[in-house]
Amino acid sequence: MEIELTRRAETVNELLARYGVKFGIYKNNEFKEQLFPFDTIPRIIKKEEFAYLEKGLKQRVMALNCFIRDVYGDRKIIRDKVVPEEFVYISSGYLAPCDGVVPPRGIYTHIAGIDLVQGKDGSWYVLEDNLRVPSGASYPMIAREICRKSSPGTFEEYHVEDNRDYAKLLRWTMDYVNTGGHTVILTPGRYNAAYFEHSYFAEKTGAHLATGRELTVEDDYLYFVDYSGRREKVGAVYRRISDEYLDPMTFNEESVIGIPHIYDVYRKGHVALLNAPGNGVADDKGIYYFVPKMVRYYLGEEPILQNAPTYLPYYEEDMQYVLEHFDDLVLKDVAEAGGYGVVFANKMTAGQKEDFIALLKREPRRFIAQEVIDFKDIDIVENAKRVPRKADLRAFVLMVDEPVVWKSGLTRFSRNPDSFIVNSSQGGGFKDTWVLSQ
Amino acid sequence: MKTLQFHYHMEIAFSEPVHSHVYTLKCLPVTGAAQRIEACAYRISPESRVREGMDSFGNRMLYGTVEEAHSLFTVDVSGTAVTDVPRPVPEGDRREPSAYRYQTPLTRAGERIRRLLADCGGTAGMPVCDRVRGYMEAVHESLRYEKGVTDIATAAEDALALGRGVCQDYAHILLSLCREERIPARYVVGMLIGEGESHAWVEVYDGERWRGFDPTNNVAVEDAHIKISHGRDYRDCSINRGVFTGQAGQSQTILVEVAET
Repeated sequence: MEIELTRRAETVNELLARYGVKFGIYKNNEFKEQLFPFDTIPRIIKKEEFAYLEKGLKQRVMALNCFIRDVYGDRKIIRDKVVPEEFVYISSGYLAPCDGVVPPRGIYTHIAGIDLVQGKDGSWYVLEDNLRVPSGASYPMIAREICRKSSPGTFEEYHVEDNRDYAKLLRWTMDYVNTGGHTVILTPGRYNAAYFEHSYFAEKTGAHLATGRELTVEDDYLYFVDYSGRREKVGAVYRRISDEYLDPMTFNEESVIGIPHIYDVYRKGHVALLNAPGNGVADDKGIYYFVPKMVRYYLGEEPILQNAPTYLPYYEEDMQYVLEHFDDLVLKDVAEAGGYGVVFANKMTAGQKEDFIALLKREPRRFIAQEVIDFKDIDIVENAKRVPRKADLRAFVLMVDEPVVWKSGLTRFSRNPDSFIVNSSQGGGFKDTWVLSQ
Repeated sequence: MKTLQFHYHMEIAFSEPVHSHVYTLKCLPVTGAAQRIEACAYRISPESRVREGMDSFGNRMLYGTVEEAHSLFTVDVSGTAVTDVPRPVPEGDRREPSAYRYQTPLTRAGERIRRLLADCGGTAGMPVCDRVRGYMEAVHESLRYEKGVTDIATAAEDALALGRGVCQDYAHILLSLCREERIPARYVVGMLIGEGESHAWVEVYDGERWRGFDPTNNVAVEDAHIKISHGRDYRDCSINRGVFTGQAGQSQTILVEVAET
């Protein structure tokens, strides 16, 4: 299929650069901001296929939300021994100060970014559930906006679902849990990797964009203080800073980007924080293994979407399997994110292998092992030629009275033909994701 | 059982005036387990509107903001506690004892702690309190009490390697030993008859209730200790957290008096 749009690649990338569509990366302890390369060939998902994904994603996020509420509440899933207690308490995402604290409307996963890949046989697998501060929705949004300008006919012709409603959906999500007051998007500032996204969402949703300095706590309520010193009560904060930096009085004492006592305001139910602090306990790579079990446990349903085949060396028989099939597996350190701490066994030297297996035996809880999924390539344009590359899909699921799946998503690809790692922090590029409406 | 009068005084002296001083204090003893607090009053200076709250461990919190410039910040708490009450009273902690079986970055065991545990010999099968008494003795023997050589960020393994430390280090090492054996153990901050500063020790769950062990003094906790707070390690229990605006050095002084009535 030749889409007129692909002939406009240069124009689109120029416009994206002009709008400041950038992604910051840290390499060798240095912060570098780079353009996030856009490829004009879209990922196309047919209507029926998306309907299937949508159903599966809703189910999965429902179960994850139930799990988090349970872990910080009655702990039934632990008492029933479906999830071993130590996977919860040792997880870096488990935060003791969240124990017994129920967020407005019981929602913990307001904005979830679920990473999927499609195998060569067409079946989809969930690779990761990103629940803490998943980023990326702004990229396909603005790319679509620009593509529509440079090639207006394309979207009519192909019956693509409009994805510009993400801002409306996000606003609805924030308003749904708002406890009374303004809505704020909290950014660590312009040196953050996703600063473009923070400012873009603020503009599109009409929320205030604020840093910690512009927010203050008084008598158990949160206020936004504008440049003139005027104060307005805040009822919802879409915070784009991680849990540990949110409040130096409860979490990391050294944090200078957080708001002292914001967590106490939240604890008293006087503000909503999106996403809820402590929800990282469910996007832990070790906990991932248990998500299909959660679906059965909380919803009494069979999981629609499957995990990539995963082994937990914590269990004796899984350890056996991992040692016997070591070369076929990819090993992931559960404490790492953003494509770090991921190693393919077949790329290790004999010495590295030996060291790794020793480490695995010493700290089995620290790793998961997965079959390498041979995922379907998607074409990109490189030097005016179409070449196949590995790509994944981050689907965005927003929780209102029930989960809503955004009819688009962020398709990321690896620019390196030999790499399976598509994370933007590793220098990958992105595509628009078209969901067909008929 | 004893009835104890206590007075806790903390002051922070700043080298230059500071302002917008935000604080959270966990300095109020609470009724629970083996103690009953019969009276408790506090005063924080300079005056500010003080809010009250409770953390997830059931510790009481006082917090607020001193907006005005000040060079001295003081907290005084006084009251009456009945210790070692015959029947345990319910406590505010809703966490299951088993949640306290896991190491934290401050208690994580290294070579030295594992060796100390091995030196204690096989104790599996013995009653929990007997095992912990053995560990307590081992910790007490392995460390010499000395101030100023460790700080609030010193991990158990490092303090043991140094062979010196204060009550916090003794407590972290004992926690580490217990948790290596998957015995639920928590860090306790409190006050003690005859000790002029705040103190730290350990509570262990014996299957029925939490029991205190004070490795610094190598004694089981009975009626001379008043508990203020508990958590997984020092970090959950810091008596004072604060951030302020101003370039100033600060020095903290704590004075504690506990006397039997």
